[in-house]
Amino acid sequence: MGELSGHVLLVLWGGFAIGLIFGAIGQRIEFCLSGGLREWWSEGRPRRAGAFFLASAVALAGTQLAAGLGWVDLGASIYYPGSFSWLLVPAGGVLFGYGMILARGCGSRALVLLGDGNVRSLLVLLCLGLAAGAMLTGVLAPLRLAVAEATEVALRPGEPSLPGVLASAGLPGGFARAAAAVVAAAGLAGWALFRLRLARHPREAAGAAGIGLLVPAAWMLTGRFGADDFDPMPVESLTFVAPVTDALQYLMLSTGLSLRFGVAVVAGVVLGSAILSLATRSFELRGFESAREVVRMAAGGVLMGGGGALALGCSVGQGLTGLSSLALMSFPAVGGILAGAWLAVRGPEFLRIH
Amino acid sequence: MKKAVASVRAWAGRRGALALAALLMAAPASAARSPESWDRIAPARELLGDAKPRAGGIELRLPAVTQDGSSVPLTVRVDHPMEEGNFVEALYLFASGNPSPELAEIRFTPLAGEARIDTRIRLDGSQTVVALARTSRGEWLAGAREVRVTVSGCNSRSAGSVENLMEVRVRAPDRLRAGQTGDVRTLINHPMETGLRADAEGRVIPERIVRTFRVEFEGRTVLEARYYRAMAANPYLLFPVAPERSGTLSFFWKEDAGESVTAEASIRVS
Repeated sequence: MGELSGHVLLVLWGGFAIGLIFGAIGQRIEFCLSGGLREWWSEGRPRRAGAFFLASAVALAGTQLAAGLGWVDLGASIYYPGSFSWLLVPAGGVLFGYGMILARGCGSRALVLLGDGNVRSLLVLLCLGLAAGAMLTGVLAPLRLAVAEATEVALRPGEPSLPGVLASAGLPGGFARAAAAVVAAAGLAGWALFRLRLARHPREAAGAAGIGLLVPAAWMLTGRFGADDFDPMPVESLTFVAPVTDALQYLMLSTGLSLRFGVAVVAGVVLGSAILSLATRSFELRGFESAREVVRMAAGGVLMGGGGALALGCSVGQGLTGLSSLALMSFPAVGGILAGAWLAVRGPEFLRIH
Repeated sequence: MKKAVASVRAWAGRRGALALAALLMAAPASAARSPESWDRIAPARELLGDAKPRAGGIELRLPAVTQDGSSVPLTVRVDHPMEEGNFVEALYLFASGNPSPELAEIRFTPLAGEARIDTRIRLDGSQTVVALARTSRGEWLAGAREVRVTVSGCNSRSAGSVENLMEVRVRAPDRLRAGQTGDVRTLINHPMETGLRADAEGRVIPERIVRTFRVEFEGRTVLEARYYRAMAANPYLLFPVAPERSGTLSFFWKEDAGESVTAEASIRVS
């Protein structure tokens, strides 16, 4: 829509570059919470899950450092709302977690696989985008809003995050943030490296740390370089539910819409993965093997889209970005995602996906 | 029995064809008689009186779909000269579907160089935004554009708590060539309380908005704006200015509770 001003262009190109890196690393180390949890819980190989949690720890440390230095105002992001639904956020997480096992990968993984020539993920992404749109702004939105209102818990101003709660319990603000960040990041990283044995795979560990660093990089990009006096960009970082919907919408309505950060990231991830895949000659078209698989992928996409919209984020959006902000809301969301995945991998027989 | 069914079908078919014909004949007639979007807005009708505005000539730019009705970016550009004796004197903006349709009224002088603004408005649902412009020769131009507002995808952040009330920001071009038009951006921190909102205890918060905004260049008016309650919080206005020589731009804001604030910016013209 018209000419874009400098800070908007910077944020969009920066988002595209972050997407390229995410796509390339993600493809290299097969970065995937869904695949990681399945391998860990059903085959006893925790390495890939460990990579996800290490990325989460690095994202947390970097983001809290940037916030502590005053470089980014996390309070302006969607993760610090005045209230959230105690029902929809964890329930959305469960739906998302179950859906990502069903679809054999979350939204970001589907984007990486698409760049690699996997056309199954095209169906996953279309279903995810449609379902998320229906839930956020479409036919299911009135229901979502009604339930959200009925199950709302108000958060007191100043404490929608872990450091905020500690600070209001009497700790000095800067110390509360540092303490929460160090304990959470070190604990998560140590657990991933040693208990989940990621330390034995330095290449994966380095890749995961690289992906983790993209989260504070994106926070800085939108929150610092996008903070124009007159036209501030929304403060956000990596997430792959709403941006997939926005990308589909942008494809259809670009003449009447302005390009958003998340859409630039989505485009970057697909292209980053595709470039690497073509450069290493691993690009190969892969399709469905059975009609059953079509249904499975579509259902997984729908559950991820609808669930991710309710939980305000996906495995990356809450598991990396949300946790990096230490937002209170992100803990039930991530708990829900893990619980949903557990139901699908180790749950009662009738829920289990083989 | 069979015969009866056949005759019913024939009857239905004939009736369908008639209905279709009626529809085809009615369509162009109703299009010709259909009232223009500004005719449905009472204050706009009042303003126009008997005048017939020329459609086209005003370009409105809005997102086709937006999730945030509380701050919708709007660009309005009137395609008309801005020379002494023939310029766009006033621009009136309306939101047809809002509880009160008036958005803003902006008066220009030839010093602006172009009749064009950027701002942000509040829209209560999907509707048509209408602009009317009156030239110094008394002609009327009109433009309209539809916008779809969906529910918000994110939890809405607590609106209304605006920090640093009446703090202003101004960005004007430092340097312009003579005859060149430059963009000036202005923003004032203000909640723009609509008077339609209740606080946590259910009491209605009284209307309190920035009512007027005026810009002068060396004592001569560039632009005068009157805002209504559907202007978004922290009213933002971008407008052009085309000074012939170096000088100072002065900005004056005034709000309902009686507070006013001024700012200045100097422009060098070479």
